[in-house]
Amino acid sequence: MARLILTRAILSLVSLLAVSIIIFWAVELLPGDTATRILGRDATPEAIAVLRQQLQLDMPASARYLHWLMGAVRGDFGISLTADRPVLEYVQGRAVDTVTLAAVALTLYAPLSLILGIWTAVSRGRAVDHIVAVFVILGMCVPDYVVGIFLVATFALALPWFPPLALSDQIHDLPSLVHVLFLPALTLTAPMTAYAVRMMRESLIDVLGSGYVQMARLKGLPPWRVLLWHALPNAIGPALNVTALNIAWLMGGIVVVETLFNFPGLGRLLVDSISLKDVPVIQASSLLLSAVYILCNLAADIASMLLNRKLGLHG
Amino acid sequence: MTAPIAPEEIGIESAGRFPYFSDLALSARVAAVILAGFVMVAITGPLWAPYGPAAVLVGSPFAPPSMSHPFGTDDLGRDVFSRVIFGSRAALITSVSASGLAVVLGTVAGLMLAYWRGWIDELGMRLIDILMSVPPLILALLLLSAGGSDSLLPILAVAILFAPRVTRVVRAAALAIVTEDYVTAAVTRGESALSIAWRELLPNVAGTVFVEFSIRTGFAVVFIGALGFLGFGAAPPSPEWGLMIGEGRSSINASFWPVIAPALSMAVLVISVNLFTEGLARLIGQSGRPSIRE
Repeated sequence: MARLILTRAILSLVSLLAVSIIIFWAVELLPGDTATRILGRDATPEAIAVLRQQLQLDMPASARYLHWLMGAVRGDFGISLTADRPVLEYVQGRAVDTVTLAAVALTLYAPLSLILGIWTAVSRGRAVDHIVAVFVILGMCVPDYVVGIFLVATFALALPWFPPLALSDQIHDLPSLVHVLFLPALTLTAPMTAYAVRMMRESLIDVLGSGYVQMARLKGLPPWRVLLWHALPNAIGPALNVTALNIAWLMGGIVVVETLFNFPGLGRLLVDSISLKDVPVIQASSLLLSAVYILCNLAADIASMLLNRKLGLHG
Repeated sequence: MTAPIAPEEIGIESAGRFPYFSDLALSARVAAVILAGFVMVAITGPLWAPYGPAAVLVGSPFAPPSMSHPFGTDDLGRDVFSRVIFGSRAALITSVSASGLAVVLGTVAGLMLAYWRGWIDELGMRLIDILMSVPPLILALLLLSAGGSDSLLPILAVAILFAPRVTRVVRAAALAIVTEDYVTAAVTRGESALSIAWRELLPNVAGTVFVEFSIRTGFAVVFIGALGFLGFGAAPPSPEWGLMIGEGRSSINASFWPVIAPALSMAVLVISVNLFTEGLARLIGQSGRPSIRE
């Protein structure tokens, strides 16, 4: 068991390494000279020379990659080309903001999908189930930026309850944090909840029809106890798996949502740095986002392995 | 192998014969009709759209919906309705090409891996695992950061992104049949690998491939729209839906129609594709559930 986990972990590390190669070389493989591409065609030769020196473009690419990798492990990602500051301190604040937004989204997501999943499984076939089913399909199919725009149009413009842009300087304390981040978090929560509710509902319906639940009922246990203590723990496995995958999806979705709400997080940093062709920042933010993604996939695999083990099912 | 499956055993009327349109669930049939409508609009749109996609100032900017402008006008006075119609072409063409290319690449790779198995399969699967370790949007942005608003580039990027996922699915389906007698017989006959793949394997995974193509098309519409929204897709003044949403966003206070119209169209298209895919998959005898955003 521990050996399986170790193998998975090593595979993830290898993936991260491979991803770093992809990230580094994606920029390298672009046609033309890197420095000229960054500065534009009418750059002066002196400016190009300075940039080449800054990016150490005279070193062979593989040596540069190793140099960058060593630095990255230590936390030194180089100097940002546009901000002239070490990339790390630039990226740190943004990373914290992104994690905050993700945390708010997950805090909304967990109880919501749990409650809706249980509710629809219990009241299967009734009006509530159908209404929620419609929202589930909408959540799964409608793109996140479209959901975000609808939310903004409804709850920020038509009804001025929330700010349409999530500007971090408006956040002073917890209430204002929730107020500003509510719509972006909701936009992220919608698709995640849709998948989770669907998964939760199906597995719970399955479990509720099983033998030991019937046994618990026959023993005379109150229905809520049967539900919470007997059915739920066994049904929650697939939903946990989906949750870990949702968290991994969050890394991509958050890029779009941060752009939509102008939230100064890691995702928007990536988009902006690509427009500005700030290579060190592009590499650093891609690497960080990918690392979290890989970590979440690893957690999902380990969690499902442990859960399957515990239930005595085959991996 | 065994006797033909009686329809009652699976609960699908079409079991044992080629499925008809009426075998689809109601939601899937409605979705198919809507999709046909989209295709019609995409093909014939340029003939009857009131204005060209780049025709500026045909009405006062930010005009609300009216008889001459069913969806109002945008910040440059362009008719939103016409732009949405022209955009439907781009949406369908780009998403179908991207997913088509991904399916072709993925099917070839999946069949190869399943047929040869052994270390080729191991290597191939590890490579795919690694390729799938990068968050898709990040990888696409990196690939597109070369710039160039060539509309071919997003299609290529999306195809590269989706191909590994298709490979996995096709490989799984092919592995299930590659040990069957008729394949072994073909090998014994001395058929070439290509011939076996084309004549024995492909027809039997065709259902899976088609469903996967359908799923990927739905995701492709969303993904290409996301790229357009972030500004990495087609360049202005292209009437690409994602781009229109991104452009109109900043002036959403003045009028939300330039944003809502393409957003609504995209939502309806994606929902229809997904409902149709679910119905199709259930018919072909699979789980029918769109995979988790893979």
